[in-house]
Amino acid sequence: MVGGLKRKHTDLEEEEEDEKWNWGPAGLRSYQQALLRISLDKVQRSLGPRAPSLRRHVLIHNTLQQLQAALCLAPAPVLPPEPLFLGEEDFSLSATIGSILRELETSMDETEPPQNPVAPPGPQNEGLPQPDPVFLEALSSRYLGDSGLDDFFLDIDTSAVEKEPALAPPEPPHSLFCAPGSWEWNELDHIMEIILGS
Amino acid sequence: MGEDTDTRKINHSFLRDHSYVTEADIISTVEFNHTGELLATGDKGGRVVIFQREPESKNAPHSQGEYDVYSTFQSHEPEFDYLKSLEIEEKINKIKWLPQQNAAHSLLSTNDKTIKLWKITERDKRPEGYNLKDEEGKLKDLSTVTSLQVPVLKPMDLMVEVSPRRVFANGHTYHINSISVNSDCETYMSADDLRINLWHLAITDRSFNIVDIKPANMEDLTEVITASEFHPHHCNLFVYSSSKGSLRLCDMRAAALCDKHSKLFEEPEDPSNRSFFSEIISSVSDVKFSHSGRYMLTRDYLTVKVWDLNMEARPIETYQVHDYLRSKLCSLYENDCIFDKFECAWNGSDSVIMTGAYNNFFRMFDRNTKRDVTLEASRESSKPRAVLKPRRVCVGGKRRRDDISVDSLDFTKKILHTAWHPAENIIAIAATNNLYIFQDKVNSEMH
Repeated sequence: MVGGLKRKHTDLEEEEEDEKWNWGPAGLRSYQQALLRISLDKVQRSLGPRAPSLRRHVLIHNTLQQLQAALCLAPAPVLPPEPLFLGEEDFSLSATIGSILRELETSMDETEPPQNPVAPPGPQNEGLPQPDPVFLEALSSRYLGDSGLDDFFLDIDTSAVEKEPALAPPEPPHSLFCAPGSWEWNELDHIMEIILGS
Repeated sequence: MGEDTDTRKINHSFLRDHSYVTEADIISTVEFNHTGELLATGDKGGRVVIFQREPESKNAPHSQGEYDVYSTFQSHEPEFDYLKSLEIEEKINKIKWLPQQNAAHSLLSTNDKTIKLWKITERDKRPEGYNLKDEEGKLKDLSTVTSLQVPVLKPMDLMVEVSPRRVFANGHTYHINSISVNSDCETYMSADDLRINLWHLAITDRSFNIVDIKPANMEDLTEVITASEFHPHHCNLFVYSSSKGSLRLCDMRAAALCDKHSKLFEEPEDPSNRSFFSEIISSVSDVKFSHSGRYMLTRDYLTVKVWDLNMEARPIETYQVHDYLRSKLCSLYENDCIFDKFECAWNGSDSVIMTGAYNNFFRMFDRNTKRDVTLEASRESSKPRAVLKPRRVCVGGKRRRDDISVDSLDFTKKILHTAWHPAENIIAIAATNNLYIFQDKVNSEMH
């Protein structure tokens, strides 16, 4: 007796397709972007009332770094890749990760008001911190509350997000994303728009 | 196996109501004591359940004693870290028994942050006939005491008492993943994601940090400690594994802080298998010294490996646990299964190794004959005293009648925690909220 037939075959056919990538340049890139989406989704969803697993975070982070390196090295596809990010050139991967991570940071720091709410009014889409330090500092803040974290974000004006949530109602997701998935896309887009100064 | 696998039968299974599985009931660790007489489980609800092997029946001297519930107690409670606004789970991450030194048994249990030492004692007599106290323990009216009597011990029903002896708190900033009692029987260590501490079993207010891999800047962090264990015979040696797939053997005689390892065990990556998931699947989820102390057993996502302490360059044996998942890594990454921490175990003679898999399957590998077997711990397919049939996962192609397709595996049914009796072929398998205990039929008939 086969005791473990839990799923129907129709479900499986679809999953199989996931495995069979077209490994042309476009296929490879869309695969990498799918992985990127999954990874960022994991970062986003890991926020909860409990400290997340550091092992899992470090492994996801290292994977993100590999993806970032691969996507930077990969030649531009002939056809625009379908899924996920319709990466405009000025909307770099670093900025994407960075903005999402800052959004996470904002939500994590809600108990501690920013030390310097009147942030330097410098151009907010320039001189953004690299995504990796942000990510790991975010992690460390969950664990240690290491000092120095606030210094990292002194130049980021989160006051707009905190004080005026209703002034800029979220617009429908435009061309940045075309696969809304399970994220809170509106909120994320809103924060990105603020960060990108749009 | 030395003995045929299909001769294994279920000795006893402790099955809670299958249709009502709460998160708190999920078993999170399983551990035999040093004689195998006791078996402890910890669960996500912070409870510890101890099973005791019943003595052999006089009526049926050839039958093996079965494991029955001996004691249950609440080891850890949920807490809240007000400084960091984080919940601290009550989930028992690990249990380790201390070598028995008197009539009492002792064990260490730990959640993410706090380690506790528990003493388990039996009482089958109670004192009666106090001069100043009545039966309920209340003080008597002294004017009614007219004569003195000698209190006596009267037999009573056996009572198992569990009492907390020590609480080792505030030693860890990160999540404790391992505890290990040293062979000196006086000290133990606890490992979290970035640090390993050495404690004296009698001292709770200080510990020595023996490994610290936390970088000065957390942005430089690329590796965490995943498991750690003391050598079974040499009290100065311990090993810890990392998320990058390496093992570091440290000698506490070399320096007080063992940041510099004595030996680094690492296998070069196979370029033909390289993918974005290479690092994740090479992350070591468990490391166990063999009973002899000569070998180390490690588990990563797809394989289990045996390392010789005298050879650092590569493992001496590598066994595929479920290689058919290699093509499914993307899905397993997406559903987070790729981060599951499977444990591994040696048998008493270090000749067979065991580890868990998905679909309530677990795997055994005979190191001598190189035979391997997949068995299933499930209520549907096994009844008490039934014989376990080997299972087979087929990957396309020919499919036999009882085979299960790789696409039909249930990834929510995972066997992460297993334990092997220190001397006999009795194994304990934690399958979600069920504990299965299997024993070798051949062995029991030989007795």
